[in-house]
Amino acid sequence: MSYVVAAYALTVAVLALYALSIWRRQRALARRRDRL
Amino acid sequence: MIRGVALMLLVLAAIAVPVGLALALFVAPVEAFQGEPYRILYIHVPSVVAAYLAFAVTFVASVAYLVTRRRRFDHLAGAAAEVGEVFLTLVLLTGPIWGKPVWGVWWTWDARLTTALILWFIFAGYLMLRAWSGPQGARAAAVVAIVGFLDIPLIHWSAILLRTLHPRPTVFRPEGPALPPAMLVILLVNIAAFLLACAAFVTLRLRQETARDALAQTVP
Repeated sequence: MSYVVAAYALTVAVLALYALSIWRRQRALARRRDRL
Repeated sequence: MIRGVALMLLVLAAIAVPVGLALALFVAPVEAFQGEPYRILYIHVPSVVAAYLAFAVTFVASVAYLVTRRRRFDHLAGAAAEVGEVFLTLVLLTGPIWGKPVWGVWWTWDARLTTALILWFIFAGYLMLRAWSGPQGARAAAVVAIVGFLDIPLIHWSAILLRTLHPRPTVFRPEGPALPPAMLVILLVNIAAFLLACAAFVTLRLRQETARDALAQTVP
């Protein structure tokens, strides 16, 4: 069962980290747009 | 600000992915031979499907870019490749975690695993090429994406034509899925959920790339 938990936790972590990276780029883009 | 189709896809994915994972963990029946580790199927296979589909979008968009030279196709190719690489990373992480309890090894250099790893490196190179060469490298990146995509049929057929440790396809095969209905339904729910997440990510990244390009053209 520990293998299953590890695989699921890793999947959720990777998807969440990628969503966070998209959100950070969105904020950076908005800041750039505001500066113009 | 995220809105429109992107927001709708993101909300649907944020609901569907946890529901799918909960069904896989707590509702799906235990497999007779493998026991609990087989539950990794419900994240491994949907990740494969999402990665393949994203790379297929990259392939089509790259061909369209080479034919039309419209920047939007280049943006779409880049956005889909990045998302495909994320899902392929999940495939290469969950595969060994599944392999260890079932095969006894984390990794083996058999045809399917090796060709999948090669695909990861091809698209990692593709993303680096895009990042470092900027708009000037769009044509070269499109060629790399088209050539890289040709690895996917090799991955699929490697487990059918060659002797590999990796099992043959149990869902996407000409004679139909080999899974019992209780397992198949939950697998399909997870495939749909991962595809929603994939579509949401591609839509968001495409908008960002388009906006970034527009900004770059307004700033001297």
